Amino acid sequence: MRRHTRRVYNLCYRFTGNSAAAEDLSQEVFLRVYRTLGSYEAAYGAFATWLTSVTRNLLVDHYRRTRRDRLTDSIDQAPQVEETHSTERTPHQQAEAAELSAQVQMGLAKLSPELREAVILRDLQGMEYGEIRKVLQVPEGTVKSRINRGRLELARILREMGVRAS
Amino acid sequence: MDWNCTVTEERLSDFLEGTLALPERDACAAHAEACASCSEILARVGALVTDMHALEELPEPSHLARRIINNTRPTPRRGQEFSSWSGWLSLIWQPRFAIGLATVAVTAVILAHAARPQLSRLTPADLNPVNLVRAGNRQAHLTYARGEKFVNDLRVVYEIRAMLASPTQAEPGNQGTPSSGARPNTSEHEDETQQRSEARVERGSMVWAMLFPFTDEGAPPSANRRTP
Repeated sequence: MRRHTRRVYNLCYRFTGNSAAAEDLSQEVFLRVYRTLGSYEAAYGAFATWLTSVTRNLLVDHYRRTRRDRLTDSIDQAPQVEETHSTERTPHQQAEAAELSAQVQMGLAKLSPELREAVILRDLQGMEYGEIRKVLQVPEGTVKSRINRGRLELARILREMGVRAS
Repeated sequence: MDWNCTVTEERLSDFLEGTLALPERDACAAHAEACASCSEILARVGALVTDMHALEELPEPSHLARRIINNTRPTPRRGQEFSSWSGWLSLIWQPRFAIGLATVAVTAVILAHAARPQLSRLTPADLNPVNLVRAGNRQAHLTYARGEKFVNDLRVVYEIRAMLASPTQAEPGNQGTPSSGARPNTSEHEDETQQRSEARVERGSMVWAMLFPFTDEGAPPSANRRTP
């Protein structure tokens, strides 16, 4: 339960960049999973993949629902960056990791939703191409193309933000 | 192989993930060495991917799991309340419970039937605790006395049976054949018959004396006809 909660929360947070929205969306994901658990079939794939697919669909719904709100907001408004530090690292490492995470989060917020979700699933969630294909329901070539373009775009955004590669 | 900047960007992820074929990988590496822009892109994207892979998952808020559990827990509605009651009824409505209930009911009927005459004669004084204790004590002693009498009667019956059985086995005529092996003559046979008859009469008088120990006429009628 905790592992899935963390996975769903991270996916929501990386996509929305807002911890409160990620929390609400995570709860909504599990409510939907609870209601539609009967529709899960083992042939679809691993439960985690199905859970990610449900989360992604909700995120897309949420993105469409909040599009009007985003258009009214300042286009240059930086997303909230709320990082919680791991206790296993030194304070210096924690600070570096938090800074990097915040920078990546800001860069992700400027990506298009299609590229953002592809990069998040691949580089932050560590999913395989086949799993991402099932979640996004697009051909694997499209998945690879989106990931490649997302990485290039994200690197360009971070360079424009003045973020130096490690 | 004609490898240019466009191809480098298109195959960038394949190169970084090592999924390019060997000739393509060599061509890409050779192009990156010659092109400063592509070399910079490769280095920057490679570092970004490495950094993102190294990022730890963010810990979810501590209350999130509890919040999800609370919201996914079904709230009881009116129909569900009734179903919970029906669930209890289904638990009670089982054969073993029904049998137990029937046993209790039968026992209650028997007890009520046995206590009915006493209950009909019940007076307020009978409910006095002192009287209740006395009645209980009396009833306990009566029960004990009846039990003791029953055990004594049983003992007497078994003693009588033992006495009736043992002399028959102890009679000399039944113990075996005569040592000489010869058949007894007629006078001896009459004597044995007489002795057996006397022994039977004597046992009967003993039994009679045991059955009626306090009577003067303890001897059975047959004892009066006993021959000296």
